[in-house]
Amino acid sequence: MILLVIFIPIIAGMLVSLIPFQKRSHMEIFLESAVVLNSFLVGYLLLHRPDHIITLANFTGNLSIGFKVDGMSIVFAGLISVLWPFATLYAFEYMTKEKHERIFFTFYTMTYGVTLGISLAANLLTMYFFYELLTLVTVPLVMHTLTREAILASRKYLYYSLGGAAFAFIGLIFIIIYGSTTDFVLGGVLDLERIGERTNVLLLIYVIAFMGFGVKAAVCPFNSWLPDAGVAPTPVTALLHAVAVVKSGAFAIIRLTYYSFGTEFLRGTWAQTVVMLVTMFTIVYGCSRAVKETHLKRRLAYSTISNLSYVLFGVTIMTPLGMVGALTHLTFHAVMKISSFFCAGAIMHQTDRHYVHELDGMGYKMPCVFGVFTVSALALMGVPGLAGFVSKWNLAAAAVESGSRIAYGGIGCLLISALLTAIYMLSIVVRAFFPGKDFNMAALEGINDPDWKMLIPLFVFTILILVMGLYSAPAVKFFNDVAAGIY
Amino acid sequence: MYYIALSVLFPILTGVYLLVRKEIKNRKSLLIQTGIFLVITTVLGVLALCLSGGGILTPFNLTDRLPILFKVDEISILFAVMTMVIFLCAGFFSFIYMEHEEKEKRYYGFYLIVFGILLALCFAGNLITFYLFFELLTLSSMPLVLHTGSREAIMAGLKYLFYSLSGAYMALFGVYFIERYGNTLTFSTGGVISSQAAADNTGILLWIAFLMLIGFGVKAGMFPMHAWLPAAHPVAPAPASAVLSAVIVKAGVLGMVRAVYYIFGVSFLRGTWVQTAWMVLTLITVFMGSMLAYREPVLKKRLAYSTVSQVSYILFGFSVMDAGSVTGGLLHVLCHGAIKAGLFLCAGALIYKTGKTRVEEFRGAGKEMPVLMWCYTILSLGLIGIPPTGGFISKWYLAEGALSSGLSGFSWIGPTVLLVSALLTAGYLLPLAINGFLPGADYDYGSLKKKEPPLLMVIPILVLTLLSVVMGLFPEPLIHYLSLIVEKIL
Amino acid sequence: MDFVQNFPAVSILLCLFGGIISSGLRGKTARYVNRGLLLVVTFLSLCTLCYTLESGEAFVYVMGKFPAPWGNEIRAGMLEAFMAFFFCIIMLLSLEGGKKKLVEEVEEEKVFLYYVLIDLLLASLLALVYTNDLFTAYVFVEINTIAACGLIMIRQNGRTIEAAARYMIMSLLGSGLLLLGICMLYDLTGHLLMSNIKDQAAMLYASGQYRIPLLVTIALMSVGLAIKSALFPFHAWLPDAYGYSTVSSAAILSSLVSKGYIFLLIKIIYRVIGFEVFYDSRIIDVLFAFGLMGMIFGSVSAIRENDVRRMIAFSSVAQIGYIYMGIGMGTQAGMAASVFHILSHAATKSLLFIAAIGLTDVSGGSRKFIDLTGGAYRNKWAGVAFTVGSLSMVGVPLFSGFISKLLFAQAAVQNGTKMLPALIVLGISTVLNAIYFMKTVIRIYTPVEDSAYESVTFKNMKLYGLTLICFIVLNVFLGVSSQPIVDLIERGLTVFS
Repeated sequence: MILLVIFIPIIAGMLVSLIPFQKRSHMEIFLESAVVLNSFLVGYLLLHRPDHIITLANFTGNLSIGFKVDGMSIVFAGLISVLWPFATLYAFEYMTKEKHERIFFTFYTMTYGVTLGISLAANLLTMYFFYELLTLVTVPLVMHTLTREAILASRKYLYYSLGGAAFAFIGLIFIIIYGSTTDFVLGGVLDLERIGERTNVLLLIYVIAFMGFGVKAAVCPFNSWLPDAGVAPTPVTALLHAVAVVKSGAFAIIRLTYYSFGTEFLRGTWAQTVVMLVTMFTIVYGCSRAVKETHLKRRLAYSTISNLSYVLFGVTIMTPLGMVGALTHLTFHAVMKISSFFCAGAIMHQTDRHYVHELDGMGYKMPCVFGVFTVSALALMGVPGLAGFVSKWNLAAAAVESGSRIAYGGIGCLLISALLTAIYMLSIVVRAFFPGKDFNMAALEGINDPDWKMLIPLFVFTILILVMGLYSAPAVKFFNDVAAGIY
Repeated sequence: MYYIALSVLFPILTGVYLLVRKEIKNRKSLLIQTGIFLVITTVLGVLALCLSGGGILTPFNLTDRLPILFKVDEISILFAVMTMVIFLCAGFFSFIYMEHEEKEKRYYGFYLIVFGILLALCFAGNLITFYLFFELLTLSSMPLVLHTGSREAIMAGLKYLFYSLSGAYMALFGVYFIERYGNTLTFSTGGVISSQAAADNTGILLWIAFLMLIGFGVKAGMFPMHAWLPAAHPVAPAPASAVLSAVIVKAGVLGMVRAVYYIFGVSFLRGTWVQTAWMVLTLITVFMGSMLAYREPVLKKRLAYSTVSQVSYILFGFSVMDAGSVTGGLLHVLCHGAIKAGLFLCAGALIYKTGKTRVEEFRGAGKEMPVLMWCYTILSLGLIGIPPTGGFISKWYLAEGALSSGLSGFSWIGPTVLLVSALLTAGYLLPLAINGFLPGADYDYGSLKKKEPPLLMVIPILVLTLLSVVMGLFPEPLIHYLSLIVEKIL
Repeated sequence: MDFVQNFPAVSILLCLFGGIISSGLRGKTARYVNRGLLLVVTFLSLCTLCYTLESGEAFVYVMGKFPAPWGNEIRAGMLEAFMAFFFCIIMLLSLEGGKKKLVEEVEEEKVFLYYVLIDLLLASLLALVYTNDLFTAYVFVEINTIAACGLIMIRQNGRTIEAAARYMIMSLLGSGLLLLGICMLYDLTGHLLMSNIKDQAAMLYASGQYRIPLLVTIALMSVGLAIKSALFPFHAWLPDAYGYSTVSSAAILSSLVSKGYIFLLIKIIYRVIGFEVFYDSRIIDVLFAFGLMGMIFGSVSAIRENDVRRMIAFSSVAQIGYIYMGIGMGTQAGMAASVFHILSHAATKSLLFIAAIGLTDVSGGSRKFIDLTGGAYRNKWAGVAFTVGSLSMVGVPLFSGFISKLLFAQAAVQNGTKMLPALIVLGISTVLNAIYFMKTVIRIYTPVEDSAYESVTFKNMKLYGLTLICFIVLNVFLGVSSQPIVDLIERGLTVFS
């Protein structure tokens, strides 16, 4: 079953490039049904979890490729499988203007399977394997447009990701040597007897591995690939560079911190301080760059950088509450950011405008899109009643509860970043709805809201943002259970 | 009890309705609709005040430990009444004033939303509800600021937005900690900080208190985060400025009152460095605001600076934490509300009629519009603190409270600054009245003609003037009522 | 004595005779002889491997009737047999893959010479692998050098001649040092057979006599072999030699010849000097340091290269650095990792060379990156193969490179002082590898509008395609089911000493 959900998308993706479809709509139906079917399978799988590890193959020694479903997997796999069908639907509409659709959808769908592989991996090696694979299947998506810019961006993406993985790999080795197992166990697997005097070395390795996985999660100073990768078609930027890929990085770090090294071992050490400071810096840095950026998608990408570090900040608090905060933001941010990216995509699709200063007065021409955008902007800022507030609240509550002074500083960073978020998001909203007195509305003639295929995902995400903001209790309770190891 | 929810939801929903519906061709029908909405809201608000009687309304929970909670207490009544009166007056005033502006529908839409949110702020029963509506207030009042759509207005709107948000976030920083160290987030007289936590974490809690004061102080235009106010208030249409200056800044005041008297508790803060710092900041603001107003030639800007200074009178009263001064502060909330709203409406009427903006251009206006100018004069006197207006009473209490507080230094520095500032107030408000009535010998009297503004403009101004005078002449019941509140919260 | 025990000696002799016979044959016939030889030797090695695996220990085969310490011996354990087997397979695949190119680049009447050289090379490689006699080893090192020079030079243009000359000079320097070392050892111990020397060396070491001569000897031999296997900083001859020779030569040289020397070095460490003695000399740290530097500088040079063949050649410098790093770690695990990397690099590097030639062929023969743009669409199989090779080099799971990286890193972690430098350089070098290999992969997958070059399909290059597939399978096999091979290596190393 687990293997099925991983391989259905991969195979479906390959089929797309192999089957000679008569019409575009046939391909759409085929793909969408495959993706939806897979999502349902994932749903079924998550509800009826197999309680043992399913081993696919043995590498050397005790290293194997294995899968299992635990709390973290439920969170991440659930998130992905909810978002993917909508994103695919959106992509159908968006990609009408792009070339080489087949190749695009091949890799786009394969990524689904690979990401599920990351989320369902039972041990560090399996996760690492799918993590590398993820890089490889997403590179073609980044270079899709084949402009010089895109190729440079994809190169950069590749170097950064593979390089990061190389350092994460060092962490993997240490877990193999010093851990009692490489399987994920909440609370860590380190064998303290074997470590003996080498605690500091292990901490150093933790930092290195953190930064290694952090490359995908765009931790400063390894973040510059993310805005560049924005040259990809918007469905990619939205789903992969706001959710699947970057969240895989964050997911991997959670696995590394809570399930491999273990918070007992890390809490209160200099390693915690270092990684926490890094995330705090990234939070502020990402936002400030977003404020300076005038290209819409790049601005959102910088915003992603900062928001990812929210998640990581939660991770680095290294308490169960911190993990709850991280998980909350991991899921909630996914919905908020994908929604705002889809708006950006819709704008680009309908009008071919890419820069913030070109958006004057568009709110009147595309009320639905900008309405959704406003909601997501407010949610990202953390207005109570929307999703962002809840996740920030959980993060801050965890930071306060941890009692560490640095974490208090982290709350400060969160709030500074919230302010900067307001600046870079609301300035767009204000432009769109209040273009100024002498703005000539006639210049916007012929622009209107996009097709239903684009609007449906947008509305669904907006509703999700609202629901998450108002009735987050079940979700947060579930995250609490995950952090407590009940699942 | 559900009247609370109704009085909050009704204006917000109708406001949204106005925003999203198609453009209304007939201006009159728009005005009638808006008028009806305003009146119904007020009625609902009054009903809520009268009928809810201390009950608690919890519509839903934001997270399992964060309920959205409304209740009506004395402070709510005070602020809600002021809000409703001023909103009604300014609302009717704008029916005439907004004739020349574009996009009226949008204006009324946001106007109603802000009304609802302000009521919600008054009724908010815990910190998180307060924070929620505090942030929504910023967002929904920003369109009022940048309504005219000029570049200046848009920039001012953004400035307002970002300052306010940064304030809100500072407050939020505190909320996080209070959730941890407090017994509850619900406002309760005497504070919610558990004594254990207060003893263990005094240092951090004091910093939190200070941050929250600064944060809410942004909305109240308190130094050092006041710079947005003189930029934002004048660019809005006059009735909107009135609302902004008279009511919305009071949301900041309300926030500080709630934080100090209902969350931290007076006993925790009294005598700490936070109190000292707060007093210093308010006094600086009082003086600086007056000084800047004195030097400002443009009428509405001058009034905005005046707001900066006057609101800090109120804050000074609260910062002293003495029965007299707090009474004075609460009283000044009402007085300043009525007076400043009135003054802005006057300014609006003057601008509407003459199209001029600078103070020295209004020479002879008193001859042309005597009723208006008389109102202006009386209101000015009130703000300066000359009997028989309410301003005198409130300032009296403020000064007396400060003197009797026994705080070394501040007990005399405070009243001195207040006095100097009162002089400056006279200096910046009265020249207009003097010029208006006594344009001087070289003035061309021939060009004068009667052009009193329409009734719908004059009546709100008259009402506000009247209120300020009544408060000055018959302060007894009000003061009695306020002293009851003060007794409770101190 | 079992019959199988004759096989190692027979295969060496077969190759030698094959070379001699081929010198009188025409090109095509020589090729058949060569292929036949390779197959036979492969089979024989396989038999030896099975035999040793079954017996679980090495056997010594006495050449002629002269007993030790005078006679010449051959010693075959499972590691030796496996190496021989593996080398044959790689050589076979490399030759098949580069056959077409060979026909183009080498003059018709010289083709037979090529196969003569190949046969001799194979003989010397086998001898290096099997021999138990230090002097025999030296002799075959020289034969190896000469044959390799010929392989470089056989494609005659100015650059190859220059490259061959360079190679010759450096190589001879290396063999000279090796010879010096052997002479000194002979002086010190009075023996040439490895096992005998080892006993004597251990005694000398234990008694504390001749400390410095022993150290010098170790240094001479290590440096000599390091020069020959192009360890940084002795790699100057390598890029030209690999970059301009005909593709089969390049593949064989990079994946086999240099590996033969390294294997000899490992043998010397285990079987001549003794692991402990070697470990105690500081030479091991020097090897480690040079290994690390090679990993970095090789990759940096590769990044700066604008010629795909030379880039791959420079990558070899980096990979050889890996191997020396493993040796330099001075642990059993490190050694095992090095041996595994010898295999994995041999499989990968020859794959890359062969795939690269497919790409350059469809790009007008140009090796500049700009011309390679879109090459993978014109020659799909070469593109896929190149990608696989690159991924393996970068160390992506599923491919052999990942396992060697894994083994290296695990070995590093168990070592106290050398752990951090090794791990960090490993990480950096992975990034650098990723940079130049992935750059190339992206380049060849960047389509160009109406390219001037023709594309080839599988039908036009069946043999070439099949070779590539074999290579890919080999790579994935090493990457996925590495456990038996790692076990074999570990057992082999134990049997070694």
